[in-house]
Formats: sequence, structure tokens, C-alpha cells
Amino acid sequence: MSIRRVLAVVRKEIQHILRDRSTFVLVLLAPTALMLLMAYALTVDIQHVPIAVLDYDRSPTSRDFVQQIMAGDDLDLYAQVSSMEEIETLLMRGEIKVALILAPDFARDISSLRGMPLQIIIDGTEPQSGAFAVDHVGWRAEEFLNQVLSSQMGAFGGSQGILQPIDLRVRAWYNPSLKPRVDMIPGLISMVLGFPALSVALTLAHEREHGTLEQLMATPIGRAELLLGKMIPYVLVGLVNVIIIPFLAMLMFRIPFNGSFIVFFLLSAAFLFAILGMGLIIGVFMKTQPAALALSFLLIFFPGFFMTGIFFPIASMPEVMRLEALALPGTHYAIITRGVFLTGVGLDVLWPYGVMLVGLGVIFLAIAGLFFRKRLG
Amino acid sequence: MTSETATIVTENLIKRFGEFTAVDEVSFKVHPGEIFGFLGPNGSGKTTTIRMMLGLLTPTSGNVEVLSIPVLEQPEAIRGRVGYMSQSFSLYNDLTVLQNLRFYGTAYGLSNKGLKQRIDRALQMAGLEGRENVRTHELSGGWRQRLALGAAILHEPEVLFLDEPTAGVDPLSRREFWELLYQLVADGVTVFVTTHYMDEAEHCHRLALIQRGKIIASGSPNEMRNQGMHGQVLEIAPSDSARAVKILRAAKADGRLPLESVELYGSLVHVIADGVESLQEAIALELKRSEIESGRMAVIEPSLEDVFIACMRD
Amino acid sequence: MATWRKIWSLSLKEFIHLRSDWWLPVFMVLGGALELLLIGWATSRPITNLPLMVLDHDRSAASRSFVVSLENTETFNLEDDVYDIVTIEEALRLGEINAAVIIPPDFSRELSSPAGRPTVAVLLNGAESIPATAALRAIEGVTREMGDQILVQRLGLKAEEFEGFIPSLRVWFNESLSEALYTTPAEMGLMLEFTVLLFAALSFSRERELGTLEQLLVMPFSTLEIVIGKAIPVILVAFFDFVLMLGITHLAFGVPVRGSLSLLLVLAFVYLLVELSKGLMISVIAKTQHQAFLLVLMVGMADFMFTGYAAPVESMPQVIQWVSNIIPAHHFLTIVRGILLKGTGMEVLWPNVLALIVLGLVIGGYSMRFVRRSLS
Repeated sequence: MSIRRVLAVVRKEIQHILRDRSTFVLVLLAPTALMLLMAYALTVDIQHVPIAVLDYDRSPTSRDFVQQIMAGDDLDLYAQVSSMEEIETLLMRGEIKVALILAPDFARDISSLRGMPLQIIIDGTEPQSGAFAVDHVGWRAEEFLNQVLSSQMGAFGGSQGILQPIDLRVRAWYNPSLKPRVDMIPGLISMVLGFPALSVALTLAHEREHGTLEQLMATPIGRAELLLGKMIPYVLVGLVNVIIIPFLAMLMFRIPFNGSFIVFFLLSAAFLFAILGMGLIIGVFMKTQPAALALSFLLIFFPGFFMTGIFFPIASMPEVMRLEALALPGTHYAIITRGVFLTGVGLDVLWPYGVMLVGLGVIFLAIAGLFFRKRLG
Repeated sequence: MTSETATIVTENLIKRFGEFTAVDEVSFKVHPGEIFGFLGPNGSGKTTTIRMMLGLLTPTSGNVEVLSIPVLEQPEAIRGRVGYMSQSFSLYNDLTVLQNLRFYGTAYGLSNKGLKQRIDRALQMAGLEGRENVRTHELSGGWRQRLALGAAILHEPEVLFLDEPTAGVDPLSRREFWELLYQLVADGVTVFVTTHYMDEAEHCHRLALIQRGKIIASGSPNEMRNQGMHGQVLEIAPSDSARAVKILRAAKADGRLPLESVELYGSLVHVIADGVESLQEAIALELKRSEIESGRMAVIEPSLEDVFIACMRD
Repeated sequence: MATWRKIWSLSLKEFIHLRSDWWLPVFMVLGGALELLLIGWATSRPITNLPLMVLDHDRSAASRSFVVSLENTETFNLEDDVYDIVTIEEALRLGEINAAVIIPPDFSRELSSPAGRPTVAVLLNGAESIPATAALRAIEGVTREMGDQILVQRLGLKAEEFEGFIPSLRVWFNESLSEALYTTPAEMGLMLEFTVLLFAALSFSRERELGTLEQLLVMPFSTLEIVIGKAIPVILVAFFDFVLMLGITHLAFGVPVRGSLSLLLVLAFVYLLVELSKGLMISVIAKTQHQAFLLVLMVGMADFMFTGYAAPVESMPQVIQWVSNIIPAHHFLTIVRGILLKGTGMEVLWPNVLALIVLGLVIGGYSMRFVRRSLS
């Protein structure tokens, strides 16, 4: 194997990327741009949920209650209505996502501990807002009830939380407010860094489509040299993003970075090696660029989305899928990114995943090399 | 050529794609230092043959030896010693002239000073000095071919395989390209070239005519002209050449005139027959009957095209 | 009309290309369907099997019953007995558990006293917030159940009358609160957009890259004819895709069609045309197929954000909310959800329909001019 020949291919690939500014910027920064877009799209902290209130009681207590519920940014009081029909219309039109109905005997029922005379209607087409609102209202309602009770049963002495005999003290490690954004973003990073794999698959298909592959085959450049030479520039592209993205994540989304950057860099290189190996396999088999694109989506991005445990926990998957997930570089890398960003662990914990990634990379490269013949037929 | 070992030997090469036989028992030898032409229409199997010779395609059966190396078993052994220009333009359009040359040079194992020297030489040969930093897609067809040739000889190969190197290039550039080829041959390179241009066939030392995967004639251009067909060529300049061809062909079909073939050459008609000289009057009469003036009639030296068409019609 | 015949001949050529290039449409359609199925399936599955550690300092009947209740939820997979906090902390650090519950030594004592409140500590692995939230909910649920029992005793309420101190809940449009009903229509809209964009974007950039565009331009076709000719196969494939996905969401996930199906199909068609124009613009901007893919991905992802796919638009900054009004996908998603789940019709949806049409005309007009300019 001649390093010089590998470097010749690497140089050529880089020249392709650099040929014009738009291609260069797109290819180089696609992962970062995608991450930013997806981070905004997928990880929004819910707030300003529009809600309508139908207060049948209209007592000072009920008005007080409504005020307490609406405090803060979580819910937005869209309207106070006086009939169910109005609620219906508003829900249909999507102008509100939640409606709160206070029973006519609200104040009385509250003080006589006959349960919670409150009904919440949520728009089921947006369960997230609904669940959020239910949580929020439920919690505030309990608070309110506690206040009422404690003022009533002063005998029990400052008993906040009468309604909850068991006091739950919750601490969420690494993400105290349990904001989805915080842990999603490392997961997203592991997804978007797989992007160069698409480019690798495309470049092989590109040479096939344009007939330059035939010419290449007639040169002394060997299979391994060609595959490696095509892979390396995209490892570099990936690594550039590995450097940029954590900064952006910290700056724009306030994601902590508790681990060591060097560890992150090394393990990311291992990941790139593995995922680009997958890209090479696709490039070896597909003859046209659209086909390479389509297969990349099916084999790299879809599973990357579903099966790597980023959005859907692996523990909840059936046995079969869990096993398949092991073969995906993204699964291991997601653990690594989470570890480095949030948990702050180092190589002592993460080394097995690094080894898995390198191993997968070697296997994929071997498969690509095996099936890549310097033959047209 | 005598007892020198042939540079290229193909024996009974066959390539089938499913039901279709693209190359049907092709055998020939190419001697050192000659330009061997593979002449045939599109789809006759030229590209398939050349690819098998290079080890890029596995034959269904048959054998190939290049520089005494069995290509089937050791395709990689010839890589550094032969040059190839594939049929579709296969340099990188988005790279510059220099980037392309440097890439292929390095691919062929050149480096540093040697690489620089050879690149300079290639640029000079192709006439592209001063245009090193032009992007390849900005070059016109003729220049691109010269660049591709330059890239193919960077490593000073002993054998050059060219697949339709001048397709789509203007006649002037084509002639200049062949000048370059002659220079290379003078330096000792053996050239195997495929083409469908008849006039290029004239430039080869030896030829093989291929049609539908089979070699239908071979030899030097002279041999082919003299022995390639039965009969001689009578050139006529009739007033209506298109109709004249129709009439004479009808006469041949009826058996009224013992003609081998009648071909249209622009405003001229070539009639091929054994002893055609004696048929001149009969032919003129036939044309007169349909009110066509036969114009000037003369027996001429057969061109390769005549030979080829005659062979093909057989 | 002569023009229609010319257009049809162009479309025929595109179809022939499609037949040899069949990977892309097949993968897109199948891939879209597959993704739809996967997303629907994944979001309809409850979160289960989360590893949980319990450190029980009390070991009383009460604490044991608490632990058993935790175990009986489907959510958890109880790990083996734990005897110290260090094990838990290490497990959290290594990401081996999603949650840990620590029961204090005075748990049952406090519970049996009239005003006692034992403090149960819950540690969550916030590095995976989705399972953590699910774990928390499950733990809260178990806690509440136990707590309610105690409460009933302490307050002397009648157990049968007690309904718990939580508000009653009604869910409209989606009684089973199946998340699939929420995600699959959104997924459908997204997939449709991607399919159309990708095809349209490839239409010109592929020909340009392979060098066949010049050929096309010297033929006696007007720009409009070329565009329509290329658009027809895209529209057919995309529409087929939409109907297919509609069928899947209906049959596999029970997404109803409460409104007018024909209205939906018509509006889907309009939406297709709008996305088509966008795709065409990308197609002439991009110099290579590679660029076209990347641009489609960016645009698609950006739109993704505005459609309220993953989170409601109200939660986003004002600016983004404003911008979402000029994103066709946003309106289409509202329409889809409205017609499928809420059963609304034109009387409610007309602002969205109007927006779609206006956007379509603007984008369409702009892109035509763009295409014309860059092709000549």
C-alpha cells in the first residue's frame, strides 16, 4: 500500500470539495447547520400554551385560583369564556390548546375536600402541550389546595403538602430542570456528525456516473488505497465540525461540556471512521447518486434517528432491535456524546465504546474493500 | 514482423452479456512499436474488447496477454506499464489541468522532480503550457483529448490503449492528435486504438475490422484495400445521386446488373463489381432509362471505407 | 393542442428515466412509508424496562409494598438489591440506570403517625430526559396512590367517595391520547415535502451535471413546457405517496378522517404544487446533485421547525412564530390535522388555505422567473 497514492486520492477529493465556495461551505458546514436547525426544531421548551378558562363559580376563591394558575410563562390566558360552545369553537380553530373548567361549586368543594372540582380539556392533536398543561395545572392546583387546607387546618402546624403524605424530593442529575433540549442536543450532535457518510457514498457513485471510475481502475491505485483516500477528507470535514459544534452548543443552547475535549475529539474520530465505513459500503454498491442518497437515508439516517436511543430509549425496544442497535455506530456515539457533554466521564468509562467504534469501522471498511472490485463486469 | 514476441496477444476472446454476445472469438496480435487499429461501427464490441484487454472486464472465455503478462490472472501487473484513454472523457472536469495531471502522475507512482518533469513534458506535448490552472471543463473538446492523452503517457507506458480518442473532435484537432501519436510511436510506444473514423484507419500500421463482435477482416491498410474485397470501384457523378443509387440497387436486386454493392458518397455514387470497367455502358444505360445523366464515370482506387462497407454487407 | 403533446412527450421521457433510475422514487416512497410506520410505532409504545435502583433503609411492610408497586408498573425493571448510595451514584454516572429511589429509615414510622411526612429521595439520570420524565411520572403515580390511601385515613374521608385530588381530564380529538395521532400526520406532511423537494431539486441539477441539459435546451420546448413536463412525474409519484401514507396512518394507527377526504386531497395537491416550485428553484440554484441534496435537506429541516412537528409553535420565540406564517408546510399541517383529527372544514381552515394559495402563487411565480432566467 502506497501512502503516496492514498494521499493523491485524498488531495484530489479535497480539490473537489474546494472547487467552488458554495460546495465547500455546504459540505463543510452541513452538519453544523443541520444541528442548529434540528436543535431548534426538536427541542423546544414548552411555554405560552394558550388556554381558555370557563369559570362557573366566579367566587373570589376561583378567581384567585385562576390567577395562580396563570402566573408565569407556561400558560397564556387566551380568553375567559362563558360557555362550552365557545370552548368548542376555540379548540376547533386551534386558538387554544387547553381549556380549564371550574365547577359551579368550586370554592365550596375545595374547602370541603371533596376532591378537585376542576376539569381540563386538552387538544389531543397536540399531546405535548396537553400533557404539559395537565402537569402544570395539576401541580398548581395541588399547591392551591394545600394553601386552602393549611389555612383551614392550622392545627396541624404549617403543614405544607398535607395532600402529599409522602414527600418526593427529586434531583435530576446532569440536567436539573429536565429540559429535553439539554440531553437531546448531544444526541443530535451524534446524528449530524454522521452526515459526511452521505458525501462519501455520493462521491463513489459520482465517479461511477461520470465514467472517471473506469479511468481510475486502469491506474495502479489499489482498492484499499482508493477507499481510504476517499474516506479521509470526510473524516477531516467531520472533525472540523467536531470542533465547532461544542462551542455553538455551549454558546447558543447553554449545554454544559463536562468532559475532556481531547477525549471527545479522539472518540469522535473513531465514530467518523465507523460511520464513513458504512458510507463507503453504500458507495461501493450503488451505481447512481440518487440511489446512493436513498440508501444512505434508509441505512444511516433513519436508524440513526430511531434506533440509537436518542429519541426513543433503547431499554424500551424489543430484544431484536436492541441487538441491531449495537451494530450502529450512532448508538455508541450517542452514549459517548452524552457522557462527555453531560455526565463528564472520561476514557475510563467510555473506552469500550471507542473500541466498538473502531471495531465496527474496521469491519465496514473490510466489507467495502471486499466487494469493491477493480472490474467493470 | 518476425520472431519478436507480440506486445499484445488475444486468443478467442468471448464476452456474453446474458443472451447477447458482444465479442465473438476475437483473436489478433499486436507487434511492438506499431499502431494497431480496431475499426468498427458503434456497438460492434470495440470498447468491450479493449476493456477485456486491460483486465477491466472478465471475458466469458478466451485469453489475453499484454507484454507477456497474462492479464486475466494478473491484471494489476500491467497497470504501471500501460496507459489508457477511456471512451467517455474521464478526467475530472471540475479540477484544473495541473491538478488532473498531478493526480494521475502520483497515481502512477511519479513523485517530486520526476513528476514535475513529466508533467511539463505532457503539458508541452498537449500544447497546454500556460493553461495549467484552467478548469478542465472550460477546455474545448480537442484540448481535452490532448490533455487526456497527456495524462495517459505521464508514466511513459510501453503500450497505449486508446478507446475512440478523437470522438467528437474537429478534423484539424484530430490530425494534430495523430501527429502526437506518431511521435509516441517513434519513441517506441505500441499503440492500440479503436475508432470508427475511416480516415484514421489509414494511419494505422495494421487494422482489424470488427462488426457485431466478430473480426471480419484484418491486415495492413494496403492489404485490405487490395485484397479486402471482390471487384473494383467505379465512381459516378450522376445528376441525381440519391435516385441513382435506388435505381442501380434495384437493378442489382433483379439480377440485371452483376453488382456487388452500390453506395452513396454525398453527390457521388460508388459502384463495386468484378470487372466493373466493362459494365460502365450498361450502368449508364440503366440510369438514362430513368432520365438520370450519368455524368463523369471513372474507376478509382478503393478507399478503406469502400472495403469496409463491402465487408460489412457480406 | 400541440403544446400538450410536447409536454406529454417530455413527461414520457422523464418516466423512462424514472424506470431505469427507479431506486430513488421507490426508496423515497417506501422509505417514507417505513419511517411513518416506525415513528408511529415507536411513539405509541409506552416507555418500559427502565432500569431502576431502590435503596430501602426502612425495610418495613410499608416500604416493601411501595417497592412492589414500583416494580408492578410496566415502566421499571428493578435492579438487584442495593445497599449503599455509592452504588447508585456510580450507576448514575455510568448511565446504567435511569432512576433511583431512596427510602428513608423512618418511612413507615412517619406514615403511621398522624402528620408525618417521610421524604423519599428520587435521583434521575437527566442525561436522558425522556426516560427520566417517564420514570418520574411513574414514581409520582405510585407515590400518589399510596399517599391517597394514607390521606383518606387521615382526613377521615370515605374511601369510596374519594376521587383523588387531581383534576378530571378530558381529551378531545384523540381520546386514547395516542401520540401516534399527533406525530403521524406531521410525519406525513414532512415526508411529502421531502419527496417533492428532492425530486424537483434533482430534475434540473441532475441533467446539468450529466450534461444532458444542453440537449434539452436546444429542443423546441418553451421553458414552461419543460417545467410542466418535468413536474408531471413528480406530482404523480408524490400524490401516490400521500395517498399511500394516508392509508397507512389510517389502517396502522387508526388515524381517523373526520373531515372531508376530498377536500384534503385537493388541498394536498395544492400543497404539492407549492413545494414543487420550491424544489424547482433549488434545482436551478444547485450546480450539482450533491449540492441539491444538501440544500433540500437544509430547507426541509428548516421547514420542519416551523411546522410544529416536535413542539408547538407558540413555545417558540415571537419572530419564529411570525415567520411560520409564510411556511407552506405549517399551513398544510394545520389543514391535515384539522381535517383528519378535528373534522374541521373550510369554514375554519380558510385562512390556511388562502395562505397556501397566496404562497403558491408567489413562490411559483418567482421560481418560474428564476428558472427561465437561469436556463436561457
